[in-house]
Amino acid sequence: MSDTITNTSSDLDAYRQQMRDWLAANLPARDPHAGLRAAHEISAEQLAADRALQKKVYEAGYVGITWPTEYGGQGLSGQHQQIWNEESRAYAVPAPGGIASGVTMGIVAPTLLAHANEEQKRSWLPKILRGDELWVQLLSEPGAGSDLAGILTRATQDGESWILQGTKVWSSGAMSADFGVCLARTDWDAPKHRGLTWFKVPLRDPRVTVRPVREINGSAEFCEEFLDDVVVADDMRIGELNEGWAIANSMLGFERGASRDPGAVRPKGGGIRPIAPDLVEIARSRATLTHGHVRQLIAKAHANDVMHELLTARVVSSITKRISNPSAASYIKLGHGILQPLRACAAMEIAGRTGIAWSADVHAHGETAATNYLNGRIMAIAGGSNQIQRNIISERLLGLPREPNFDTNKPFREVLRTARNWGTKGE
Amino acid sequence: MTFTEQMVRSGAQGSRCMDLELTSDQLLFHETTVRFIDAELPMTKVRQLHDDPVGYDRGWLGKAAELGWFAMLVPEEHGGGSVSGAGLLDAVIVAEELGRRMQPGPFLPMNIVAAALAEHASPEQCARVLPGIAGGEVVATWCVSDADGNWDGGAGVIAVATEGGFVLNGSRGYVQDAQSADWLLVVANVGGASAQFLIEASTPGVVVVPLVTLDLSRRLASVSFEDVRVDGSALIGAVGADGALERQLQIALALLCAETVGVLDAMFSITVEYSKDRTAFGRPIGSFQALKHIMADLGLWLETCKAGAVALATAVEQRSAEAAALAHTVAAYVGDVATDIAQECLQIHGGIGYTWEYDLHLLLRRARSNSALYGEPSWHRERLCVAHGL
Ligand SMILES: Cc1cc2nc3c(=O)[nH]c(=O)nc-3n(C[C@H](O)[C@H](O)[C@H](O)COP(=O)(O)OP(=O)(O)OC[C@H]3O[C@@H](n4cnc5c(N)ncnc54)[C@H](O)[C@@H]3O)c2cc1C
Repeated sequence: MSDTITNTSSDLDAYRQQMRDWLAANLPARDPHAGLRAAHEISAEQLAADRALQKKVYEAGYVGITWPTEYGGQGLSGQHQQIWNEESRAYAVPAPGGIASGVTMGIVAPTLLAHANEEQKRSWLPKILRGDELWVQLLSEPGAGSDLAGILTRATQDGESWILQGTKVWSSGAMSADFGVCLARTDWDAPKHRGLTWFKVPLRDPRVTVRPVREINGSAEFCEEFLDDVVVADDMRIGELNEGWAIANSMLGFERGASRDPGAVRPKGGGIRPIAPDLVEIARSRATLTHGHVRQLIAKAHANDVMHELLTARVVSSITKRISNPSAASYIKLGHGILQPLRACAAMEIAGRTGIAWSADVHAHGETAATNYLNGRIMAIAGGSNQIQRNIISERLLGLPREPNFDTNKPFREVLRTARNWGTKGE
Repeated sequence: MTFTEQMVRSGAQGSRCMDLELTSDQLLFHETTVRFIDAELPMTKVRQLHDDPVGYDRGWLGKAAELGWFAMLVPEEHGGGSVSGAGLLDAVIVAEELGRRMQPGPFLPMNIVAAALAEHASPEQCARVLPGIAGGEVVATWCVSDADGNWDGGAGVIAVATEGGFVLNGSRGYVQDAQSADWLLVVANVGGASAQFLIEASTPGVVVVPLVTLDLSRRLASVSFEDVRVDGSALIGAVGADGALERQLQIALALLCAETVGVLDAMFSITVEYSKDRTAFGRPIGSFQALKHIMADLGLWLETCKAGAVALATAVEQRSAEAAALAHTVAAYVGDVATDIAQECLQIHGGIGYTWEYDLHLLLRRARSNSALYGEPSWHRERLCVAHGL
């Protein structure tokens, strides 16, 4: 079917019209005030209902629009995807498991498409698109976050299988997910970056314990997992043995924005973005919209929003055209990581006292500001902190010399010993 | 190492334009522009002009005109034309290099006036001045802000209609290259509404008083009008010129932001290179994380400026609905980070950056000067609110 749809404008118009009709008939309207539902608030029934709905969208041909047909996609162009992005905006598009769905579609799926073998792609990707499999990332551990190559989870070969043992943490959405892409150490005598391998780990396995972790905003979006001798077959290994680091970098690139379809970024001249509506609403509720300093805060936040959007489009296009190397995605990530906290703090400044106390039974703008304030540093930490992005930008884009390092060229076992004695004997 | 050698090493010399989608004709135009600047006015010669009251040489202006520098916003029937047909997108290519190479001269005001006349003047008015501007024989500038540097919509110059013409009284401030201008496009007030007059600088009653400038390659002056009598043909367009002023401001900001991008790009590339060369404590200073992280932030801001400056030029060229808001958005952002980038680049240089001989301060001066020339960031933010109906 897909090869009969082309990109002539009349075909695109027809595609849009068909989509419009389908959306109106099949999806409820989006509630503009509803954010992404917090993972711990999603009941099993809700999750099942959302999955069923995703399957329906998939069967209509609107999930995986640009994905290759052999892996369950439609094989269509970025323009088709763009039409979906525009038309579906007003509807409650299902995101089963909330954040888990975002991780599955935005980070895991592109990583698998790039690095899984043919058999794995044919078997796994259609299930992902259909909503049958939700995946999350099992990367960070209690002892290793920024220094991801320092993880301690081990995978030991046992005939045709692997036995995984270790603790993962901060895994967003894991309570709703079916699988994790898990980074594990497979060689302890190799330097830290050269002994890592990826596995697909079933989260509903009895040897896996998933425990939600409560966050500063009171909800529980991420989890910790204990892998207690989980056995996975060798066909659950993703990529080559001990070559997991390159895949990790590529995955983090997707997470940082490299995966954004250039067609999906707002085109130049594509309409005027309203000025920071959330901040305007707070100011209006306090009758301070005429105050000069409030107007300055609003305009600054808006300018940053618009400029970051333009930056994103520029970076995506320069990576696509190979003018920049893929590390340029760190500009997008660092921009978020710097600007979101600033924006959250601007909202609190405009909210004033209304951001520190509110009545329990009416919707208060101040409460939203307070929640955003607590969440303001998510992008500055998750997916590689601002400092890590700055390291990447300075070394891989600007070509500045690396810091002296003490860990990359020795057997990992030795690195662990040295770190513990840091500063006591001098390195 | 001299500044120019630093430029060569850092790649800023032949560096890529901010617009990543230039046609091969535009790239050729860029190359010619760079070659011309390097041959005619390299840094040593730019410095020699710092004490010159005019700031540039008329002969040089004519040669620059041969490359099309002042013709890009002029219609073909008046001697204009541009490489791609999208004049402003070609003009920002030049503007960026003028910034990167710290060039003096009236590129900015000549192009603003050219655009204004092309859009609003009668065919006779155009014929009187535009071919001269395009050919670099005539210098024109825009007198828009008041004596205190504020945007007053013309209130500071009162034009009273007389039989057959107008009499103007009042003053304009911070007028670029008024010292050497032959024609002044003056924003004034006629019976409570804005209007623009094209006046010969030699008209009796026009008094130009040069100012001392932060940017050593930029000439600014106060211009006062004492019973200046002009005939009716000096009025450009209609009385009630707010829309025209808006549009000219957008063109000015598109050119100015592109120029600032060039300034910042030069500063930043030089700074990154310097940090790789300079050693302290047994290693290049560029290997210290404290400096690397600053430079990563500066890199992010600079990329964002480039994205914004290209988007702005495109929106203004295409007269898109978002051009007005985008002009203030980009100008506010670029204006803010230009200062930050300039300051941090000086910091990373240490003592050498604080010397007169080292060229960094020239860029520092222009970066800051540009952040005020057509409105400071907080002014743009207030206008942005207004543009959005707040
Ligand atoms: C909301 C949220 C969701 C997350 N989701 C997931 C997920 O789904 N899956 C997953 O695997 N992980 C997830 N994470 C974990 C996240 O990736 C890590 O928290 C992050 O990489 C930082 O690691 P860390 O917490 O161990 O901090 P550390 O690495 O201990 O860092 C502490 C501080 O030291 C700084 N630092 C560390 N190294 C350097 C250096 N070389 N130079 C300068 N400064 C340095 C850091 O910037 C930070 O400020 C999530 C985190 C959050 C907050």
